[in-house]
Formats: sequence, structure tokens, C-alpha cells
Amino acid sequence: MSDPQDPAERRRGALSERLLRGGAEPDPRFTLANERTFLAWIRTSLAFLAGGIAVEAFTGDIFDVAVRTFLAVVLLLLGMLLSAGAAVRWLNVERSMRHSAPLPLPLIAPLVAVGGAIASGVLVVVVLTR
Amino acid sequence: MSPAPAPAGRGHEDPGLQPERTVLSWGRTMLALCTAAAVYLKWLPMHGVFVLCLFTFALCLAGGIYATQRLRYRRSATGIAGERITPDAVSVLLTSGACVLLGVLGITTLLLF
Repeated sequence: MSDPQDPAERRRGALSERLLRGGAEPDPRFTLANERTFLAWIRTSLAFLAGGIAVEAFTGDIFDVAVRTFLAVVLLLLGMLLSAGAAVRWLNVERSMRHSAPLPLPLIAPLVAVGGAIASGVLVVVVLTR
Repeated sequence: MSPAPAPAGRGHEDPGLQPERTVLSWGRTMLALCTAAAVYLKWLPMHGVFVLCLFTFALCLAGGIYATQRLRYRRSATGIAGERITPDAVSVLLTSGACVLLGVLGITTLLLF
């Protein structure tokens, strides 16, 4: 367990202290690796956000307004869920590392797969039925 | 033979180059934000000037990352050298929250403007 009287422990800051209670400070390389994984998820979410904007902006000649808006909203929602999920995952992994527990499964990975499949399915149906 | 210690405050001894990789990862995220901001501009003719708020917000976030890159590298290098690093909860939560807000503003723009 970490000692709250330890000067290094007190340096952690109020938010880290509040979110990451107990356990021992993990290897700094693992903490940085966790941060980079979080950033990779954030870039994936930004790709979904940009994809949603692009569908609305660039596909005016292909889809009617309802399909375009539906696809854009689905992609933007997925981007938002991924952003929030990335932070939750970062926190869960950091907590697991502090307590030397097994790392949690990435629940946002199936979200990307299902969301991508829905968006692709809609695209295929729309293109085939035009 | 162990490597010579790095000059204080100027580097680290991690052959895995963790500080560089982490700062580059933030840099790629910053570029992704700039790209998203640029794509938002395509909405300007369709959804009006509210889109400029989205554009400015995304660019400000990217600017914030750019402005803190040096600090971030120093934090990582110091952490590796001292074998102890503070998890950057503030940056993580701010970035995640800002991306969620970008999505909310995007959907609002799409449906209301």
C-alpha cells in the first residue's frame, strides 16, 4: 500500500490521489505505455468524429439527407463513446497496475467493431438499393 | 559497463525512448485534432457560423497540447530517471472530455443549425 505521508505520494496531485487510491506506483514505463494506448484510442475516436463530419460534408451527391444525417450521427456518437471509454480504460488499467491485478479486457474494442459494422452495413444497403 | 549518467534535466537513460514516444503520441493526437478541425470547416456553408466555434475549440485543444509538449517531455524524462512518475490524470480527463464535447457540439450543429 502507498504511504500518504510519503513526500512522493503527496506530490501526485489531488486528482490522481482521488482517482488512484492505494496500491504501489507502477513502473513509469508502464504508466507511459498506458498513456500512449489512451492516446491511440483518442485518435481512433477523432477518426470517427472526422468521419461523421466528412459523411455529412462530402456525400451530398450520393445519399439523401436522412441517410447522411443518420450515418453522421452514428459515427459522431461512436467517437464520443470511444473518447469516454478511452479515459475509463486508462483509469482501470492504471488501477490494475497499481494493485498488480490482471489488466481488464478492452470493452471499447467490440464497440469499434460493432459500430464500424453498422455504418458499413448501412452503406452497403444504401448503395445496393439506389 | 553502465552508460554514463545523462546531464541533469537534459535527458534520460531509457533505451526504450519512452519520453520521445509519449511526446510523439501526443503530437500525433494534436495533428488529428487539427485535421478534425479542418474537416469541420467543410460544414461552414451548410450550418453557418456556429461551426467556427467547433473549429476554434478543436484548434485551442491542439494548441494546448502543443504548448505543454516540452513540460510533458521533462515530466516523462524525470520520471524515467527517478523510476517514479505521476499518472497524468488531468491531461487524460481533459482530452477525453474535450473530444466528447466536440462530438456533442457536432451532433447539435448537425441537428439544430
